[in-house]
Amino acid sequence: MALPKEELVEYIYKMVEAAQGKKQLKAKDIEKAVLKEHPDQNKNDIKFAIKELIDGGRCVYTYFGGSFIEIPRVEGAAKH
Amino acid sequence: MHKTPLLDQLESGPWPSFVTDLKRVAARKPQTADLLGVLERSYKDKITHWKHGGIVGVLGYGSGIIGRYTDLPDEFPGVEHFHTIRVNHPSGWVYSTKALRELMDIWDEHGSSVLNMHGSTGDIIFLGTRTEELEPCFAKLTSKGWDLGGSGSAFRSPSCCIGPARCEWAMYDTMEACYELTQEFQFDLHRPSYPYKYKLKLSGCPNDCVAAVARADCSVIGVWKDDIRIDQSAVQAYAGGELKPRGGATKWDKLDIQKDVVELCPTQCMSWDGKTLKINNRECNHCMHCINLMPQALRPGTERGAAFLLGSHAPILEGAQMSWVIVPFMEMEKPFDNLKELMSNIAEWWSEHGKNRERVGELILRLGMRSLLEAIGVEPAPQQVRIPRANPFFFWHQSDFDAEAKGRRYDTRQGFIR
Amino acid sequence: MTEPERKTDIGPPHYGQFLHPVMKANYGKWKYHEILEPGVLMHVSETGDKLYSVRVGSGRLVSTDFVREACDLADKYSDGYFRFTSRHNMEFFLTDLSKLPALKADLAAKGWPIGGTGHSVTSIVHTQGWVHCHTPAIDASGIVKAVMDDLFEYFGKHDLPAQVRIALACCLNMCGAVHCSDIAICGVHRTPPKVMHDKLRHLCEIPTTIASCPTGAIRPHPDKSLKSVIVNEERCMYCGNCYTMCPAMPCFDAEKGGVAILVGGKVSNSKTPPAFSRLAIPWIPNNPPRWPEVVAAIRKILTKYAEGANKWERVGEWIERIGWERFFEVCDIPFTFQHIDDYKFQAYDTYRTSMHFKF
Repeated sequence: MALPKEELVEYIYKMVEAAQGKKQLKAKDIEKAVLKEHPDQNKNDIKFAIKELIDGGRCVYTYFGGSFIEIPRVEGAAKH
Repeated sequence: MHKTPLLDQLESGPWPSFVTDLKRVAARKPQTADLLGVLERSYKDKITHWKHGGIVGVLGYGSGIIGRYTDLPDEFPGVEHFHTIRVNHPSGWVYSTKALRELMDIWDEHGSSVLNMHGSTGDIIFLGTRTEELEPCFAKLTSKGWDLGGSGSAFRSPSCCIGPARCEWAMYDTMEACYELTQEFQFDLHRPSYPYKYKLKLSGCPNDCVAAVARADCSVIGVWKDDIRIDQSAVQAYAGGELKPRGGATKWDKLDIQKDVVELCPTQCMSWDGKTLKINNRECNHCMHCINLMPQALRPGTERGAAFLLGSHAPILEGAQMSWVIVPFMEMEKPFDNLKELMSNIAEWWSEHGKNRERVGELILRLGMRSLLEAIGVEPAPQQVRIPRANPFFFWHQSDFDAEAKGRRYDTRQGFIR
Repeated sequence: MTEPERKTDIGPPHYGQFLHPVMKANYGKWKYHEILEPGVLMHVSETGDKLYSVRVGSGRLVSTDFVREACDLADKYSDGYFRFTSRHNMEFFLTDLSKLPALKADLAAKGWPIGGTGHSVTSIVHTQGWVHCHTPAIDASGIVKAVMDDLFEYFGKHDLPAQVRIALACCLNMCGAVHCSDIAICGVHRTPPKVMHDKLRHLCEIPTTIASCPTGAIRPHPDKSLKSVIVNEERCMYCGNCYTMCPAMPCFDAEKGGVAILVGGKVSNSKTPPAFSRLAIPWIPNNPPRWPEVVAAIRKILTKYAEGANKWERVGEWIERIGWERFFEVCDIPFTFQHIDDYKFQAYDTYRTSMHFKF
């Protein structure tokens, strides 16, 4: 069953949170993971759920030899 | 100001000196003085003093800001943070002085006053600012009509040649196509969601002034299908030396039509009897050599469009690639929906199958050209290959047998499996 | 005060507002062009309008002061419009050729050179180097300045057999995509990273360090108590990404790093197809501030090309005709193991299978 919009946002946030420090997720990884559990989820909904998390500052894009979606943190390079 | 005895040696000589230029700014800006200090240190140590950041950005975007920090923050506190801002350039890198001055005002206020006109992808590159300056700088940029360019695993800022704005060889409107495609892909330009970078460059003719074939995953190169237009009296003028070879681009006074043009034609499709230049246009491969040499006598035809090539990238990882012909000819009329659709379909196939950091050209190598062509619904055509395969390892799909049973050629849409 | 609404995804301004009026009026109507003298182009429209473009070398790495100075010139001569080219040159537009001498005088006073058209050496396309990049083996702007100082005579003249495009990339990541240039200058690291296990656990994030490697050569250390990584050195391409993520993996070596020269590439389709640049010199010492060995090597290749090439031949077309064995001979370049490709499947295509060679 497709998740309603707000639940989808939280679902994705939890996924990113759980992956923190273990695996860096790309947007496509998130989409594939959602579709595995909820095959009828609209891809565009997933795209905009990620956008909502990013626009609200709860998640950020990072770049470490590829772009990922992560929980905000202070980056290593900024530390002395 | 730090002492810079090594850099000072780059102030002499006839070519404009970036050291002299940057010193002017360093005299009024501590952070730029520290930039020269770090650079001098690199000249001494022969090693870089920059670290890569991967998190800083502006709210909502994953593109346009590259985190940068020095590894010598105690000695050079002005460049402790020294992030890059990529500002998406206008088509053809044309500017009004009013707009450029506004940009310079923003960068004087919010950054180091050092920049690249332009970076390798095409953006205006603002070099060096602190994290807390990013949002105010972005707000000022958008208020003046500018936006950030692409970075990371995103659609990158497309670039194009000057095209119809000032060139007689533009086979389509490169400037408008570049603008249209940039607008179309804004979401993907600012929110990196692809396996890796996805670049687009648009050249108006096979001279390829923006190096599309080498420097962009998607290379759109203008071409014509009909006959080269000949002005025989102008050919005579080139033969007689009244008109200079290549429009005056060379040290030679006069063209030898037979030796310089006819004999160097790669397809040998031209002839010259001393009076009339003849071209067997069906055999012309659009290399541009004859047109380049005689711009007043020869002009490309009027049935115009572009070829779409795919896959080029720099050496990491599989070695450098040049783009391969995918669609030998497409109409290129505003709003360029066919190009938008083609590029979206390719991105979808690549996103579905590509690994992190795998460019689309590398995915084609891994999965095979047929996989791509089937996915985007493009038929095989001899223009796509330089030569056919020499090995016997070609395989048949059920769709090929189905097509065969229906009495169809293998290359019809009927035979494709989606 | 309320904050103005946040604007996003507006894209760049439309170029239409930045076109010189003559460009706008003759958009898509251009008929032919001539180069009146090195650096001065004349485009003629079907309407009879003419636009003169004056091409000027620029450093790419510039200051806001520099751009303002260019704006001043554009206001004075060019109706408030100008442009940059794909090779970092500037172009000012004149509608009246009688203004050219005054523009030339103003440019000369600034030391800004006119040229870069036709059969010249035009501005060098290049990357950031030590001024901003985290993985360079060499500087970019400094070498470009030193090489252009030396080749300056070729910028303002049409003396060569064809145009010569030089490009520089400060490491093998090749942000500048120099791989299809007549002469490519490429920074090279030559050593894989050495992992300092005792430092790494304090300094580095292990997942980002692993992710930074394009070849997947970095793995977690089998001894988990070390909280470190190991490197499969055979897979390492010396790209330097890991070091910049993790300073406990030094691979940049001040003495071993250096410059490689590749030659014979092109992107234009004129006569022959676009081609990759090929390795000419695998390593030259990295010698700031003026890199004399690099400058001398490029001058040698360029002068041998200028002497040896036929009319209209690009560097790669000249080498193809005389043969690579002859190229190495005339340029006095020793042939080494490094010249023989052994990287993956592209290599076999480069080995000779014919008796068409010279002694």
